[in-house]
Amino acid sequence: MSADAPVPLVALLDHADWQQVKVLASSPAPTLMVGGVSLVADIRGRAADLEGHLLTVLQPPLRDDWHIDVLIQTAAAGGASALLIGDSSPLSQPSSLLAARVGLTVLGADDPLTAALAARRLVSEADLHASETVLRVTSMAARSGEGVEDVMKAVGSVLRRPLALVAAGGDTLLGADVVMEEDRETVARTLTAVAARSRVTERVELSGSALLIAHPVPPTTARDATMWLVARLPHDLPAESAALSAALSVAAAVIGQRASLRRLAVERDARARASLLGELLNAPDDLAPTTRRRALEAGWRLDGWHLGIRIDTGPDVDPVAQRPELISALHEEGLEAVVVEQGDGWSAWITSEDEPRGADVEARAGQIRRAQRRLSTTTATAVGVGRCHAGPRGVARTLGEAGEAARLAAGRVASGRFLHVDRLGLGQTLLAWTRTDTFQPAARSLLAPLEDQPGDLLHTLTTYLDEESSVSETAAILGIHRNTVSQRLTRIRSLLAVDLADPSERLALHLACRTIWIPPSDVS
Amino acid sequence: MSLPVSRTLRAADLEALAVGLCLLGSGGAGDPHPFSSVLRSQLGDGELVLHAPTELAGASVVPVGMVGATSVFTEKLPHGGEFGAAVAATGRWTGASPDAVMAIETAGLNGVTALVAALHLGLPYVDADLAGRGLPRLDQLTWVAAQLALTPCALAFPGGHTMVLDRASPTEVERTIRSALAGTGGWAALALAPGPAASLDETACVGTLGRALDLGRAHGSLRMMADAAEVAEVLGGEILGEGRVHDVLRHTSDGGLQSESSVTVLDRHGPVLRIETENEFLMVLVDGQPRATVPDLICLLDRRTNRPLAVDALRRGDEVFVLVLPAPAWWLASGHVERVSPAAFAIDCPPLLLEGRS
Repeated sequence: MSADAPVPLVALLDHADWQQVKVLASSPAPTLMVGGVSLVADIRGRAADLEGHLLTVLQPPLRDDWHIDVLIQTAAAGGASALLIGDSSPLSQPSSLLAARVGLTVLGADDPLTAALAARRLVSEADLHASETVLRVTSMAARSGEGVEDVMKAVGSVLRRPLALVAAGGDTLLGADVVMEEDRETVARTLTAVAARSRVTERVELSGSALLIAHPVPPTTARDATMWLVARLPHDLPAESAALSAALSVAAAVIGQRASLRRLAVERDARARASLLGELLNAPDDLAPTTRRRALEAGWRLDGWHLGIRIDTGPDVDPVAQRPELISALHEEGLEAVVVEQGDGWSAWITSEDEPRGADVEARAGQIRRAQRRLSTTTATAVGVGRCHAGPRGVARTLGEAGEAARLAAGRVASGRFLHVDRLGLGQTLLAWTRTDTFQPAARSLLAPLEDQPGDLLHTLTTYLDEESSVSETAAILGIHRNTVSQRLTRIRSLLAVDLADPSERLALHLACRTIWIPPSDVS
Repeated sequence: MSLPVSRTLRAADLEALAVGLCLLGSGGAGDPHPFSSVLRSQLGDGELVLHAPTELAGASVVPVGMVGATSVFTEKLPHGGEFGAAVAATGRWTGASPDAVMAIETAGLNGVTALVAALHLGLPYVDADLAGRGLPRLDQLTWVAAQLALTPCALAFPGGHTMVLDRASPTEVERTIRSALAGTGGWAALALAPGPAASLDETACVGTLGRALDLGRAHGSLRMMADAAEVAEVLGGEILGEGRVHDVLRHTSDGGLQSESSVTVLDRHGPVLRIETENEFLMVLVDGQPRATVPDLICLLDRRTNRPLAVDALRRGDEVFVLVLPAPAWWLASGHVERVSPAAFAIDCPPLLLEGRS
């Protein structure tokens, strides 16, 4: 691309180097091409070669000078594509009327030399522009901060075009909105996971004259999702799109490398946290001094009161990668928690100096529930919250309770898969579990034979089991003779074919009774 | 130019004369109409002879005129004695009384002032002047081009006081008079040092008043709503465009002293005309190309009535003819055209004249 390649004037006007250039008269047609740049010192100057050129006047003219008219006429007669003058204030009436009459686009810029040189580079020196762009992107990217965002910002400052990381299918993951709604389908068709594997730059022509240049980000591991580094151009300016293609491939490689470095560091930290928590949970009463020290270094306070939180995710979620999202969700609700990746989810706890009051704990639980809801836009979770316990041992206990609660919460769709142990007590929590959708049908079928029988057999059985298998107490509570109770129990044994002396069977029956029939005192 | 033959002027000619003087004013030089009514009452039923210089060979002729703001002149009218006072002052200074009167500038207002002065002083009028058209500065007069002194000269102000200026270069005369005017009433009657009538054929524009009368009479023969070709034919010039005044862009230069403007006329056939002005119309560009300049007479005429329009009277929306008439012959014949060319008005464009184009 060393020969002159005429470019549309509208594309030049949209280029970042031409931000200062304004159209003063006769907006250019989309087909108006610029094939070269001619410079004259002032408005009295005459350029030899005008045909298809951008005639640039370096010295700012007096706004009302009639020489501008002469220049407009000469430029139009010589076939110039446009006239650029060193003054971006509006043209005088006669000049703009004349420009409209002869159909010459007049542009104004406060620094016409810079604009003219930029145009010349884009028109005549595409290779130079591309290599310069790549060099600058390389040096900026190398000097940028650690994060992927830092690299994007540095590269964006060189390219001065909207830049984004886009997933296969067109979702923007990071950066500007480069994929408009109406272009989604076109983008999804081109930027596929399969295309990304070939590691070549893709061009996506969009509606209007806009263009996307996309380069796949090299994946760190085989199971990494496909990502494209995408820049949006309002017009296809050959010199710029060539430069961008080359620059994006460099930038994508740097972004891929930064992503993998970050992942390595994150995974190392995650492993360290998990093993530290393991030690803490295994021997909370007898912590080795090194463990204490590591906990201190990790910023964990082992003294004070701890409120445990267990967040369970499905197996599809990567807790290491998603940890920042959980932390920020908690943070946005005003919670600063220690979060440790454990299995399919996270264990977390919040430490306070003094034993929190009931109302405080309630408030915390509310915040945790809201954080869970925040997180639910990307990740479905089941969350359990334990009670407050003190000291290193307390961490283990509250996390244990939270774990139980999370397991129960998983089955409780109605409560948003959230459960706080403190509210009901652990026993009630377990009992609550029996009222889940899985247990209830089983309980119903177990007790089904008692239905439609004379005598309140279900009530009698429940009261009998509640009163520790005491016939006389049962009789007293129900207000019937104890022989009646004994007789009913005999009928129950025969109808259900169970042995009420067997602890397991008795427990099963008791749970089943509780599930189906709730005594009035338990309704709260 | 026709041979100078003496002609007469009657009250009936004054309307034609005023229009002709406006055309010679090229948009400037002031409106002759208010003062021509003074002339009308002085003429009465009589007539004024416009002598050719050759008829008065041996006579000394004093050039008179009014300097300063023409607009002030119409507000602060003369009492009539100013020209006499100025001429008397030069007479006292030189010790010789003039035998005849001529005009400094036969264009616009000053075309009439010299006639009034001649009647007032009772001296014959010589149809010759030092400009041939509207010119803004005293150092542009033909005598200056011909290396003649403007001094001693005298100014008489409407307040009654008089100023005599001697041994000053033309540039100094111009500068001194401007500053004197700024400090007094805004206008003054000026009489230059008298010169011999015999040399006027070489040193002055002869017959300009006759030309004004001819132009005015020709103009009077034009119908209302005459078309462009007819106007050009009858007035002996060229129409560069006809259309609506789209914009009058006024700006000042020279530290605000000189008022300039750019008049944009949208020709009804498409072209964009731009007329650069100072006190007078100086240059016409058609579609960005210079087409006419001083010293040719650029005039804007009302397209309906053909009435000449002054620079400062032009308004957006006026329908106009852009007319150009030949420059006074003296400037071209004498080889001093550069003194009244665009360059003399700080316009870097060579003179583009009707003469020599065809």
